[in-house]
Amino acid sequence: MGAAVDHVIPIGMSRGSVEGNDKSQGQRFSSKSKLTALVVDNGGVCCAIQTALLRSYGVGTEAVETGGAAVELISSGATFSLIIIEMLLPFMNGPETAKQIRAIGAQSKVLGITAFFDERDQQEFLAARADDFIEKPLSLEIVIPIIRELNN
Amino acid sequence: MERIQMRRQLALMRQSFFDQGFLDEQFIQLEELQDDANPNFVEEVVTLYYRDSSRLILNIDQALERNPLDFNKLDNYMHQFKGSSTSIGAKKVKAECTQFREYCKAGNSEGKKDKLGPWRQHVAQGIDGRGQKKKQDLTWQNIVIDKSKIHTFNHQKNGCPSGITMFWFSM
Repeated sequence: MGAAVDHVIPIGMSRGSVEGNDKSQGQRFSSKSKLTALVVDNGGVCCAIQTALLRSYGVGTEAVETGGAAVELISSGATFSLIIIEMLLPFMNGPETAKQIRAIGAQSKVLGITAFFDERDQQEFLAARADDFIEKPLSLEIVIPIIRELNN
Repeated sequence: MERIQMRRQLALMRQSFFDQGFLDEQFIQLEELQDDANPNFVEEVVTLYYRDSSRLILNIDQALERNPLDFNKLDNYMHQFKGSSTSIGAKKVKAECTQFREYCKAGNSEGKKDKLGPWRQHVAQGIDGRGQKKKQDLTWQNIVIDKSKIHTFNHQKNGCPSGITMFWFSM
């Protein structure tokens, strides 16, 4: 896409395996309509886990470490069904990132995520037009309903 | 025979982590993400967690040496630490992070600085403990990290945590 973005490829997961690790066999829903997700988190562990979890359900997932990288990626034309944004990011925080992503026209489902739930953070995210705000971990219980919703 | 014994030992160790409250169901979700396409997922993530945690603990310890304490910085470190601990299923560490944050909130008001004492001790123990336990860790490491032996566990579909994990989860 020509944009210089700060891509984080979680260890053990080459770009070639974006479609791999598909555990949607046997699940009632399938991700045949190709869903995509963007994880915005500067914590390597969280990034790796969230990415692996989404990919295991057939969601083509990328990860970046900063809000700026996310904005750049989307500005250059990338679209995502789902964008998960950590509250505390370097330089530009989660809500500010969400705000800018909406400003450039992203229609994705935006999910704010944090280590410590805080109502003010929640309000900030929702004011920035995020759709929801949850506390980590990003678990199956959270992911499955979202995927169902996005598939419909 | 040796392999079977080793497998049994590690399975017991793994179960004890859950029984003692070091790990929760989030860790099981990690194990389920490991498969033929991602055969070393658990080990990779745990190793990453160990590296990140070491760095964070060091930062926190240094920040605790400051006078006055920079609570904003401490809060940020704890946020990161809790985030990764929660994601990996390190139940006990996660609880410590939450507790520490309460100390910080209390410490923000005057005269409560000593509340950080217990946590500081924890941190110090953690860092010293790592030195002490090193020998023991290395033995476990030899068992778990040695690729040829890992091969046997992967077929079990149990992401057996490394000895490093054992230490950190018991912090």
